[in-house]
Amino acid sequence: MSVNVYKRDRQVIIDPLVTCMPLGAMWAVLGINHGVPLVQGSQGCSTFARYHLARHFREPIEIAVSSFHESTAVFGGKKNLNISLKTLIQRQDPELIGVITTCSSEIIGDDVYGFVDSNKQELKELGYDNTEIIPINTPSFAGSHFAGYDNAIDALIKNLATPNENIECDNNINIIPGLLNPGDVNEIKHMLDSMFVPYTMLTDISETFDSPLNPKKQKTPYFGKGGTTVNDIKNISASKGTISIAKYAKTGAETLKQTHKVPAVTDNLPPIGIKGTDKFLKTVNKLSGYDIIDTLMTERGLTLDLMADVSARYLAGRKVVIFGDPTLVTGLTSLVIELGMEVVMVTTGSEEKTFPTDIESISKNQSIDVFSEGDLKVVEDYVKDKDNGVELILGSSEARFINYDTGIPLVRFGFPVYDRVGYHSQPIVGYRGAKRVVEMVTNEVLAKYYEEKHWKLQQ
Amino acid sequence: MEKQDCVEPIIDTFEERQSHMCIKGGGLSLPECDKPGIPGTVTQRTCVFGGARIVLMPITDSIHLVHGPIGCASCTWDIRGSKSSDSKLYKKGCSTDLKEKDIVFGGERKLYDSIIELHKLHNPGAIFVYATCVSGVIGDDINSVCKEAQNITGCRVIPVQSEGFQDHNKTKGHWIGCDALIDNVIGTSEPDQDSITPFDINIIGEFNVAGDLWGIKPLLEYLGLNIVSTVTGDSKIEDIAKSHRAKLNIVQCQKSSNYLAKKMKKKYGIPSIKVNFFGIESTITSITEIAEFFDDEEMKNRANNLIENGLKHLDNKLEEYRERLNGKTVALYVGGNKAWSLVRAFEELGMEVIMSGTKNGIKEDYENIKNIVKEGTLIVDDANSNELRKLLKKLKPDLLISGAKEKYIALKLGVGFCDFNHDRISAFAGFKGFLEFAKEVDGAVSTSVWNVVSTSIYDE
Repeated sequence: MSVNVYKRDRQVIIDPLVTCMPLGAMWAVLGINHGVPLVQGSQGCSTFARYHLARHFREPIEIAVSSFHESTAVFGGKKNLNISLKTLIQRQDPELIGVITTCSSEIIGDDVYGFVDSNKQELKELGYDNTEIIPINTPSFAGSHFAGYDNAIDALIKNLATPNENIECDNNINIIPGLLNPGDVNEIKHMLDSMFVPYTMLTDISETFDSPLNPKKQKTPYFGKGGTTVNDIKNISASKGTISIAKYAKTGAETLKQTHKVPAVTDNLPPIGIKGTDKFLKTVNKLSGYDIIDTLMTERGLTLDLMADVSARYLAGRKVVIFGDPTLVTGLTSLVIELGMEVVMVTTGSEEKTFPTDIESISKNQSIDVFSEGDLKVVEDYVKDKDNGVELILGSSEARFINYDTGIPLVRFGFPVYDRVGYHSQPIVGYRGAKRVVEMVTNEVLAKYYEEKHWKLQQ
Repeated sequence: MEKQDCVEPIIDTFEERQSHMCIKGGGLSLPECDKPGIPGTVTQRTCVFGGARIVLMPITDSIHLVHGPIGCASCTWDIRGSKSSDSKLYKKGCSTDLKEKDIVFGGERKLYDSIIELHKLHNPGAIFVYATCVSGVIGDDINSVCKEAQNITGCRVIPVQSEGFQDHNKTKGHWIGCDALIDNVIGTSEPDQDSITPFDINIIGEFNVAGDLWGIKPLLEYLGLNIVSTVTGDSKIEDIAKSHRAKLNIVQCQKSSNYLAKKMKKKYGIPSIKVNFFGIESTITSITEIAEFFDDEEMKNRANNLIENGLKHLDNKLEEYRERLNGKTVALYVGGNKAWSLVRAFEELGMEVIMSGTKNGIKEDYENIKNIVKEGTLIVDDANSNELRKLLKKLKPDLLISGAKEKYIALKLGVGFCDFNHDRISAFAGFKGFLEFAKEVDGAVSTSVWNVVSTSIYDE
């Protein structure tokens, strides 16, 4: 028994599971303290991404745009970028601007690197030299939002990490979280803090995408609370190692290994479920030298306790479909299998080369259908085919209609989740995140598959 | 309110923005408008593609295929909360998913194959094919692909030439959407002779967001009108195809669709009336004007009944909301049409509109705003997020009316918010809708959350 890999059997995408590269890059840049993404393209390229992100995080999302119009497509975007940088620095005074290219600026052949370089000189003469300006290539036709995120992290490392013998190292490690929610990043920070490991999060969206309400202190221009500082990124060259949680976000870690000899761990399971979290903590321990402390083992035990309580009676053998970002799908597949459930089908919207083999290595003796470059139509057809006997779906809000039509419970996770609250601020990673997933999954199963009159079943 | 008190601190860094804001008063001139935004700002504007898409998307039995990279489709599918009484096909997000290879060799073949696949899978009423920045720059001839696909499939395949960067104003996208209909759909089918009545109308520019159309339809039907088609809320393509035989077009969203009404007047001689079913006075005026247009005694009597009953229905329930809302202030930052068509509705709730602005207003919109707002009202064009934030801090309105992107800007500042855009979930049109509207506005302004927000842990 192993995985069966299928390709989508049509050309057209119906109900996409992925979005574009610029959105991933915006995500990364917004995790920097006083960082602003500047989109070198049409207004729609920033506005629709802002809308998408604002709906999911329920936060103001500040993304500037250089507003391409028809003449730009003909004469190029140099002038727009020049004005944009001046406007943005003058108005917002950011620590960092990520210049994010779009399909149109890439196709017309804008040399953003050249533009940025020539602008830097001019900005310096105007006295604006406090802002880091980082060009990030993100033509949407070359990949999904994961690839855009990866390019952005790599660009930040390439441009900012400086070799510095004098930095006091103190066993610092770098974490590239990937496109995780604030709740997940906070959980990773909680695990590291529990072990007293110093770390740099590349980048840290935990507070910028989940900011407190305090109207009296609200400033203009708006910057979300927190975020990784530019200075922290400059110092990452002296770290003991880099862990990339997501495989698709490993280029930066590899760059740092090549340029500054910082060891990189990029092929771990994500810290989702018991095995994934075990592996993550052991890696942290190995890189930093700090011990895994008892508090975390208590959390592990509490999660195992719940898993033992519910697995055999309610969950074992139930058939699950999972779709979403490759890292999350891989991690959740592992967790769901730990619970004794049967994963029958998984898909992710992009073409991640190692995705089928990753699923295979987790699948053990289960047979899993893996669709590469799938879309929601693939999921819908699979779930609606009664022969497949699907009993639970794990995926984003986009599957809500499948849920309404079939009555099969949908446990929401990943991006985007806009029709429920709390999903982005609570974790699915770590032992505590695993406990939460087990609770959510079991409650959905209880609500759907156990009737009230058989209340004893629920004990 | 003096102009310098309000405007200058807001735009302290940019002199060129001064002329985009003005206060209605003695020496008022209109704000400068319909100009490209300043590059490098956090704009609230969107692109031409988005403009075309939101006009056409509510056609329920059609497929909307975006010819471009995945992002253009994935960030905009199901973006409009338009409801359907039948088909859900319009809610699908379809993309040709252009990749690097297609950019080099062209995406026409992929587009053709995608159309054929969609036709086979869903047998839609029509397939609208949207050009994006990318398909525009690489020069794909979507017109000829659509034509060929239409010949093969026998399904209406309609090109929408909506490259995102065409203009700074998404209104151009609305017009492009309207053009796709007038050039390819309207007038391509004939209604059954039996179905023709002297009271055939089309509703233009009503998109059935949150079910608004369903608040308007019973009113019109009670008058004895026969609704041939709605362009485009809760519509089917065949109905729109027959819309050229109507006797009257009533235009709800004038911003997006007056253009279409004018074209239908020119091509088919159909007169149009501008209507507005938001607010009591507007609803009454709209009903009266339609009845007067047909000059039919029976209809006029019915109109009077309708208004009388509608008002009777409202009065008792509204008072409670009015009491709480009386004297509260509102800032509008919405699409061109709503920036003036909502003003009276707020006044009917006892509220005061202290700012009205639009992202994409043209001169005509600002003239309408100027005519309807009170002296001292701030009129703003194309405010970016920084300016919006500063304006809200300065003016401290009790409520902002806007869309999803602006929602969290307002809430973070402790300003109540009510969605009047695609994401709204309550229907606001007609007499019943006005009650819903009052309820939602009251909820946003009077929620006890604001009492807690204004407290501190050190308070007694």
